[in-house]
Amino acid sequence: MQYAPSLASGGGRWDGGTGAPRIIRRSEEPRPLPHSSPTDAGRAAATLRDVVFAWTADAPPVLRIATLDVAPGERVFLRGPSGSGKSTLLNLLGGVVLPQSGKVSVLGQDLTKLGGAARDRFRADHIGFVFQLFNLIPYLSVAENVALPCLFSQRRRARAEAADGTMQHAAIRLLEHLDMGDPTLLRRPVTELSVGQQQRVAAARALIGAPELVIADEATSSLDADRRVAFLALLFRECAAARAAVVFVSHDPAMAHLFDRTIQLSDVNDAAS
Amino acid sequence: MILSLAWKSLRNRRFTAALTVLSIALAVLLLLAVERLRTESRASFAATVSGTDLIVGARSSPVHLLLSSVFRIGNATNNLRPETWHALAQLPAVAWSIPIALGDSHRGFRVVGTTGAYFEHFRFGDARRVGFSSGRPFADEHEAVLGADVAQRLHYRVGDSIVLAHGAGDVSFALHENRPLRIAGILERTGTPVDRAVYVTLEALGAIHAQANAQAEADPLAAALKAHAPGGGAAITAVFLGLKSRGAALAVQRTVNEYAAEPLTAILPGATLQEVWEITGVVERTLFAVSVMVVVVGLAGMLVALLTSLAERRREMAVLRSVGARPAHVFGMILGEAALLTGLGIALGVAGLYAGLLSSQGWLASHYGLFVAVAWPSAHELALLLLVAIAGALIGLVPAWRIYRHSLADGMTIRL
Repeated sequence: MQYAPSLASGGGRWDGGTGAPRIIRRSEEPRPLPHSSPTDAGRAAATLRDVVFAWTADAPPVLRIATLDVAPGERVFLRGPSGSGKSTLLNLLGGVVLPQSGKVSVLGQDLTKLGGAARDRFRADHIGFVFQLFNLIPYLSVAENVALPCLFSQRRRARAEAADGTMQHAAIRLLEHLDMGDPTLLRRPVTELSVGQQQRVAAARALIGAPELVIADEATSSLDADRRVAFLALLFRECAAARAAVVFVSHDPAMAHLFDRTIQLSDVNDAAS
Repeated sequence: MILSLAWKSLRNRRFTAALTVLSIALAVLLLLAVERLRTESRASFAATVSGTDLIVGARSSPVHLLLSSVFRIGNATNNLRPETWHALAQLPAVAWSIPIALGDSHRGFRVVGTTGAYFEHFRFGDARRVGFSSGRPFADEHEAVLGADVAQRLHYRVGDSIVLAHGAGDVSFALHENRPLRIAGILERTGTPVDRAVYVTLEALGAIHAQANAQAEADPLAAALKAHAPGGGAAITAVFLGLKSRGAALAVQRTVNEYAAEPLTAILPGATLQEVWEITGVVERTLFAVSVMVVVVGLAGMLVALLTSLAERRREMAVLRSVGARPAHVFGMILGEAALLTGLGIALGVAGLYAGLLSSQGWLASHYGLFVAVAWPSAHELALLLLVAIAGALIGLVPAWRIYRHSLADGMTIRL
């Protein structure tokens, strides 16, 4: 457990997301959001301002986004072809990479102001991810996969336990809601599940401990059309219950109509034009 | 929590992990076994003679004298006259003396002509005296005492009769058939050259040779032998001396080396043993180098196993990153795994060593006369193990660093 002390010390840099916004933020209150009418602009699920990102300092920027906002509880469909910088945008929102300039805020916290450990901790506490494939850890059971974020986030663990008593119960309840409550299924190795089942396990993992933002990256591309809609319905229901915003990234516009709003990445990304 | 995650990940790859642990274990086992045999054979070598302060022989090189008198390897270039032995025994500093006369053999084993003083004063190992497993010392020139190996190999028992042969070869054409000797006693096993000889009195050797000389006129072979070994009484090859005070050893050595009546060489057995060991040291160091190489190969195997698993694990790490794992966690998981594999390998290797020692102890003693004690690892061995452990952890740094870099670059999204 050599890293435990550093995790704990990283915690001192962020009060769990419930504290007041930092003083610096007061001077640069964000402009009203263009596509929605959030009542709490400072607590927007995600905000990008004048963000420029390039992989190296002298490479041409992959992303150049003046403004991008996601309101709390909002369901946003972010559309863009492969290679348009979607994954980079997700890495920015997750705090895995930092922009060369500009500001990336999630829930009012400017990620560029946080150190690496604090950003990792922030991501663990507040953001759930669902990816296209290879979403699950093959050597963990279904229930263990779902409970995984609670290993890295005390806050989500506490929330899961507050809601359902134990992590295990929270995982089972979420799986039940996603029609995966069969006890024999819980003990199965995840590699034996169908792709659709795997995606639902991944969704349950993204939702455990009620993160405020759920990001799905091509989460339905490996599902057939019927299952896509069913999966999204389940995802939306759970996100609504947790009042989590959803950013759904895909190159396929077929499901755009199910979302509150569609953002064409090429429209907001000046680097693409 | 992270540890249990790392453990489950390792369990998932248990086959490769087990092979890695096994290869490290075998490498560690070999390293320790070579080390153990090396130190034990050195100790056993140094233990071939103890308590003897000086060995005196005809003028020759010290190493040669030691090899011929203690190890009974090769032949002494010259013999001593019996008067010289008497003169040495009467030096005021000398407490006891054991003469030995070599030259005859019995079915491949050397025959040592000596006196009862051999059984009383000769010491080996930790100053242990040579005891009897059955019987007693020879009483006269018609009796012989056998070393443990001789009795075991040739199935002799007390009371049996044996015939000596001239020369030290395995097959001899000059048997002293008309003077059979009765076996009076069999010595306890010592793990030294003592076990591989037949002991008779000097008088027995003298009588045998006198008779051989008498036949010389009729027998051309005996005549040739007479020309080769003149003189009737048993010529003495070397004398082991015990002194009243060890401090006198150098002074007595000088006296002996300057002995006027006959050119002599006196050696301090300990110092010369050391000198001989230096000669065999090359083999010893080569063995050690080979076993170190095997450890390096074992650790390289682990490196390969870890590196080949990285492609697969990049996905795993990306998922862990997405749920909040820090690059340091990822780094630590791989490094921890390398450390764990090395640790398990070392533990298994040590367990294997002790299992091997316990099961082969008797065999080593009976076939090679090597007594390998089942002792706790020495400080030297522990230091070697620590080195292996550190090397294992350092090797783990390579894949850990790579996956760390990958996980920084991949972030949460990885296209493979």
